[in-house]
Amino acid sequence: MTMATDAPAVREVQPGGSRKPRNAMRRRNTLIGWSFILPNFLGFGLVTLIPVVFLFYMAFTEWSAFGDPEFLGFDNFTRLIGDGSFQTSLGNTLYYSVFHIPLTLVAALSLAMLLNTKLRGVAFFRTAAFFPYITAVVAIAAVWSQLFSADGVINQILGVVGLDPGVGWTADSTLAMPAVILVSVWRDTGFFMLLYLAGLQTVPRTLYEAARVDGASAWQRFWNVTWPCLRPTTFFVTVMLTIQSLKVFDLVFLLTAGGPGQSTFVLAQFIYQKGIVEFEYGYASAGAIVLFSMSLVVTIVQFLVNKRIER
Amino acid sequence: MKHHVMRSAGVAIAAALTLAACSSDDGSSSTPDDTGSGSGDEPVTLTMSAWSLDSTPEFQLLADEFNAINPNVTVELQEYDAAEYDTQITADLSAGAAPDLYILKNLKYFATFQDGEQLVDVSDVADGVGEGNGALDFYEVDGATWAVPYRQDTWFTYYNKSLFDEAGIAHPEGAITWDEYADLANQLNDGLDATGSYQHSWQSTLQGFALAQTPGADLFSGDFSFLAPYYDRVLAMQESGAQTDFATVQTNQLTYQAQFGTQEAAMMNMGSWYVATLIAQQESGEAEDFEWGFMPAPQYDDSTLETPVSFGDPTAVGINPQIDEAKMDAAKEFLAFVGSEDAASALAQIGIKPAFASDAVTEAYFSVAGLPQDELSQFAFGTHETLPENPVSLDTAAIQNILNDAHSAILTDSVSVEDGIAEAQERVANEVG
Repeated sequence: MTMATDAPAVREVQPGGSRKPRNAMRRRNTLIGWSFILPNFLGFGLVTLIPVVFLFYMAFTEWSAFGDPEFLGFDNFTRLIGDGSFQTSLGNTLYYSVFHIPLTLVAALSLAMLLNTKLRGVAFFRTAAFFPYITAVVAIAAVWSQLFSADGVINQILGVVGLDPGVGWTADSTLAMPAVILVSVWRDTGFFMLLYLAGLQTVPRTLYEAARVDGASAWQRFWNVTWPCLRPTTFFVTVMLTIQSLKVFDLVFLLTAGGPGQSTFVLAQFIYQKGIVEFEYGYASAGAIVLFSMSLVVTIVQFLVNKRIER
Repeated sequence: MKHHVMRSAGVAIAAALTLAACSSDDGSSSTPDDTGSGSGDEPVTLTMSAWSLDSTPEFQLLADEFNAINPNVTVELQEYDAAEYDTQITADLSAGAAPDLYILKNLKYFATFQDGEQLVDVSDVADGVGEGNGALDFYEVDGATWAVPYRQDTWFTYYNKSLFDEAGIAHPEGAITWDEYADLANQLNDGLDATGSYQHSWQSTLQGFALAQTPGADLFSGDFSFLAPYYDRVLAMQESGAQTDFATVQTNQLTYQAQFGTQEAAMMNMGSWYVATLIAQQESGEAEDFEWGFMPAPQYDDSTLETPVSFGDPTAVGINPQIDEAKMDAAKEFLAFVGSEDAASALAQIGIKPAFASDAVTEAYFSVAGLPQDELSQFAFGTHETLPENPVSLDTAAIQNILNDAHSAILTDSVSVEDGIAEAQERVANEVG
């Protein structure tokens, strides 16, 4: 949502007070600026930045929270490469992302287009679509767990068309991940729909009118007008979704706890388990750096691709 | 980290003590074998970690009972979150902000604290605690003792006498084997609307027994074949319907309290802490009103029926090495007290199974209102060998996590018993140590 308001706010202040010397003016503005940023930045620095910087050091050590960390060099990273659990978690995270990103994107865009019409009561449906996103994830997990149980609503509906798998989804090693993906798509759609709704408002009406005059079909209007105009939104949505997918944790943990076996064991849970549960903070940090690097690389690639298309 | 002493705890204890309403005065009598050395005239205040003070009266009880004997020493409680206790106390110890005394909530992390030099050697205290405290040995590393246990839970089989009567099956009269247990569950299942047996989804409900009971079973051997017969039996029970299947327990998020307390199951294996819970829930109406008792947990074979083997983790108190040296004597005295028969009798009176076992403790325990008074329950409480669920090692947590994955995979039929165990063995070889 940061993209909607680009820059002008700060610039507008300057031409106003022309009597004061420029330097004092600038100093005052800088101070005001800092005073706005500082409280937030202090919090960010203390609870995020410093721990993250420390993490880069910890990843090269062995540390159980007691005593001094012991420097290991790249040992943690070589251990990661050979660690079966790490490989499984990496595979599961990619499996999750490959489905979660496009499905959420399509669902969010479709819903946004549907709710971008001037219908009576559309505000209600927009709000309703946003509900899952603001609902506590614990509640979501509890309810969906019931829905996915062997004799739950979902299997009953599937039973009508003869597709009842006969098992609880979250207790089946092949169905657990699809269940997790389904719930997270349902949960995230509302938020990304909102971004797309904002994006849709920026598409000039005149383009649609021109396209219609030229005899473009609904599909052609979408493909040649809506989609290109939404590119900045889509870019932002994709970046956010990718990062969110790679670091998925809470929903998976509450819905399946990584199981059955390791069938939904994701990277973030690997880090949690090694660090918080097994007290291997150094090794967990190495895992966290891998996750961080993955997010960083994917985001950079997305930026580059976006730039190339822009040209 | 600001965990302040919660004075309101006293009110909660008063409520919890309704359990022990019948015998309240003998705890305040002075101990004859008081070690006596450090209780000088100057007042000493010790701080100790604790959790969920509203529902867990044992900490305040220990503090109050000790204060009654040693009026100069006050033990103040510092409250932590129950679910995140191990993480929070680790953070506090690491930051130098932990209290003088801290509780080792389970045996799993004892090795981490001991290896991390976060415990004071209390071998001198241990020497005075005596034979009756059976869990003391678990805290021995390199010939020294590092903490003193006050509580030792063990696993029993709870059974619903009313449902046994309804099914026309005689009440059990002594310890039984697992095969007999499975037969009994099937019989009950046939004669009742309720299921014969309920087994909660925790790995310990199966692996804890297999590890403790199977001759030669060793968590660190890398060989987990000892689990196989236990899984085969449970899978057969799930198949026949005599036991609610694992997937249902998970997806429907069943609670063991409701399953046994509302008579959904006729038998259930569960830790000794459930005795006090069930009494309280029957009193409050959360659980239905029915006759129940507990017997020793089922055995591997009939060679251990005289002294049944079960498992359970003790709870202990250790001393933070950063304690003020001037308080050390008082801290050690407190440790000597928590491991003693006096503390045990006081704990027993609020329905807790203490680490110190004796006839007097058993008597105190069965004086709690609402406790079944039959001989089998008394036998189960007083006679057993309890082995640790989590034998002490730095690798325990990692191995248990891998076995937990195997547990859910096998019981949901995602893999066969053999493959699940083989995979766990491979992972332990590959990922641990």
